[in-house]
Order: sequence, then structure tokens, then C-alpha cells
Amino acid sequence: MAARLRLPLVLLLVLTVQKSLLSDIDVRDVRPDALLLLAVCAGLVGGSEVGALVGFAAGLIADLFVQAPLGLSALVFSLVGFAVGSFRSTLLREIWWIPPATAFVASAGGVLLYGVLGAVVGQSQYVRPHLVTTALVVASMNALLSLVLVRVTGWALVRTTERYAR
Amino acid sequence: MAVYRRTARPRFILLLLVLTAITLLTLDQRGTGSGVINSVRGGARDAFAPVGRAADHVLNPVGNFFEGMVHYGDLKAENARLRDQNAELRGQALQARDSERERKALLDQQDLTFAGDIPRVRARVVSTAASNFELTVEIDRGTNAGVAKGMPVVAGAGLVGRVVEASRSRATVVLLTDTSFSVGVRLSASGDVGVATGRGARSPLRVDLIDPATKVDKDEVVVTSGLQQSVFPPGIPVGKVLSARTPPGALQQEVVIAPVVDLRRLEFITVLQWSPKA
Repeated sequence: MAARLRLPLVLLLVLTVQKSLLSDIDVRDVRPDALLLLAVCAGLVGGSEVGALVGFAAGLIADLFVQAPLGLSALVFSLVGFAVGSFRSTLLREIWWIPPATAFVASAGGVLLYGVLGAVVGQSQYVRPHLVTTALVVASMNALLSLVLVRVTGWALVRTTERYAR
Repeated sequence: MAVYRRTARPRFILLLLVLTAITLLTLDQRGTGSGVINSVRGGARDAFAPVGRAADHVLNPVGNFFEGMVHYGDLKAENARLRDQNAELRGQALQARDSERERKALLDQQDLTFAGDIPRVRARVVSTAASNFELTVEIDRGTNAGVAKGMPVVAGAGLVGRVVEASRSRATVVLLTDTSFSVGVRLSASGDVGVATGRGARSPLRVDLIDPATKVDKDEVVVTSGLQQSVFPPGIPVGKVLSARTPPGALQQEVVIAPVVDLRRLEFITVLQWSPKA
């Protein structure tokens, strides 16, 4: 398969899995956020620029399927992807627990940032008493999923990572 | 210089992305491009619908397996409760002398008597919200089937929510437990009116504006008030009273109600083709 088609395919696959499978798996009504996790994995695999770009694309797709203001997920996910990519050089990705640990911290940060920025743009109900619990549950589930998604993202971004390696 | 360019480029890209996102947010918030944005959203949902349908066929058994695993305790408890209920109903059925009357009562129970003659569209719930910040469900009927934004949505026992977005083949329903949801209600015994507001998935609804002098009983049914300008027709059961108390010096009671519909187990719902002007 042409390398340039891999990323759109993975974006569609992640959206499909999020809507058809992960929406049924909840812990206390909190579900994993695979599109946010894709931004994290892209930052981890491809660096800050790739993390921001993939995060923006994943966020924009997420925005099309929710009631929140368009651009909110795109803003948050691109910031999260960029932040993860910026710290990538200081991380030893070969250690197996680095991707889940990064996914845990970045996902929790992403959910909190989404809540706070949502409140700033008029969705005051996003900052609620259970926001921290929501962030921790999403972070835990995303950490588990990252074991698979980081490999899928590596496959999707193989051309990009090779270019950056040169 | 080369090193500078390499480190500055990601920041420049991020800046562009942030500015683009803020522009989209501003357009959406101000409603400037709401027509275009709604069309894009509707188009995306319609385009994704066949993929989602195919994926549901493949992934549903996997989802059910994990759902069963995660909610094993809840399911076990619910199973026990249903067995009890079943035994009780069997007893009642055996006691019933007039089988014809029993059949009619059962049919009446399944019908939406509270919706009267309002035209309706039956739909299947195809997915729950993709976000953890909103309580919505997506249904497999859209504007092609006569579903429109603002229409009330009910299930067998009572109110489920309201349509907030409709594309050609899909519609999004905000559930009444969502924190953005509120509905004018009437206490069935006293006739007092108030406003019920959602407080999240596992939290009961709060009813405001109930006079401290009003007697509110536990399990009293609360229905939609249907007052002028209400977006819901009158008489739809919303919930049952869980508790009511008046704190010292308060000007209203603290009334809490549980929805009559089990919103976690929605499979089929009914959209009422009703608007306040009708």
C-alpha cells in the first residue's frame, strides 16, 4: 500500500473503532478517546511537528461528530501532539512502558485542557466535579490502548519518520 | 542557521494550526459560518453512516464481549432483579381472571399513550456520544425520514431527550441527563410547575422553582408541563421523585427526580414530529 495512504486509512480506522467499539466500553460512563490517543502516538513516533499535524487532523474529525464548538478538539489535540513530540527526544522509546506512561499523562492533560478550554469558549458545563476522575479514567484506558495504537501509528507514519531520521 | 530552521519550523506549524482552530471556533461561536459548518458536519455523518453500519456488524460482538466484561457486576445484579420481577409478573398473570383485559392492558402499556395523535418516527440507536463531555446518542433516521432539529424524543416509558442535530440519514439526540438539558415540568399530584435540569449520566435530575409549601411525595410522577413556548408537548413522563426537602430559609424546594427511562439501555426510540408552533 502507498505510504501516503496509510495515515488517512488509520484516521478512518480509529474513528470507526471509536464510534463502533469503544463507545460501548465505558467505566462509570467514561470511554477511551482513541483520536486523542492517536495525536499522542503521532507525537511519540514522529515528533512535535507530526504530532501537531496529526493531532489537528484527528481533532477536526472528532469535532465533526460531537456537539462541541468546531475547532475545540483540533486545538487541544494539536497542542497535546506537539507537547508529546517536544518531550520525545528526552524519552527512551525502546522501553516498553514509555508509550503507555506517556499516553496516560498526555491523555489526562488533554482531557483537562479540553474541559478548561471548553469552558473558556462558553461550555461552562465541561468543568464539572468529576472532570479529574474523567481525565484519570480516559488516561488509564488510553494507556492500555497505546500498546497497540503506537505500533499502528508507527506503520502509518513510516515515511515521515524515515524522512526525519535522514 | 539550519539548526534554527529545524527547531523553529514545528513551532511555526503549531502557531498556524492554533490560529486555524481559533478561527473555526470563532466562526462556530458567532454563528457566522454556522450554515456551512452544519452542512459539513451533516455531510460527514452521512458519509460515515455506511462505514459505521458495516463496522457495527463486525465489531458489535466484540463490543458486547468487552461491555459484558466491564459491567459483569451490574449485569449480574440486573439479571437477579429481572428474575425477581419476572417471578412477580408471572404471579400477577396467573391471578388475572380476564385474559382479554390483560392483553389489552399489555398493548396499552406498549403504546405511547402520552404522545396522543402526534406523528412519530421510530428509530434505532446506532451509537453513543464520541465525547466524554456530552450525553448524546446517534439514531439511524434523519431529515429524509422527517426528523428535524428540536423534536422531542421518547421511549416506551417517557422522555428521552431532544434532537439537536439532523443530517439526511442520521440525527443526534441529547439525553435529558446531559448538563445542557432542561425541560419545563409539572408535578402530577399538585400540578406545581418547575424546571428539571440534567446533572450528568449517573446523577438524578434537579427540579427548581417548586414552592416550599407544596407537598411532594416520593415516587410521584413528574411530567412535561407543555406551557406556552415549551419545546415539549404536555404530559410526557420525565421522572419519579426520589427526594424533596426545603432547607431552612429557602425560597424553593430541593426536588430530585430519577428518569423513568433507562437511558443506559436505549435501543429503539421514537421521535415525535412536534414543534411548539404546531
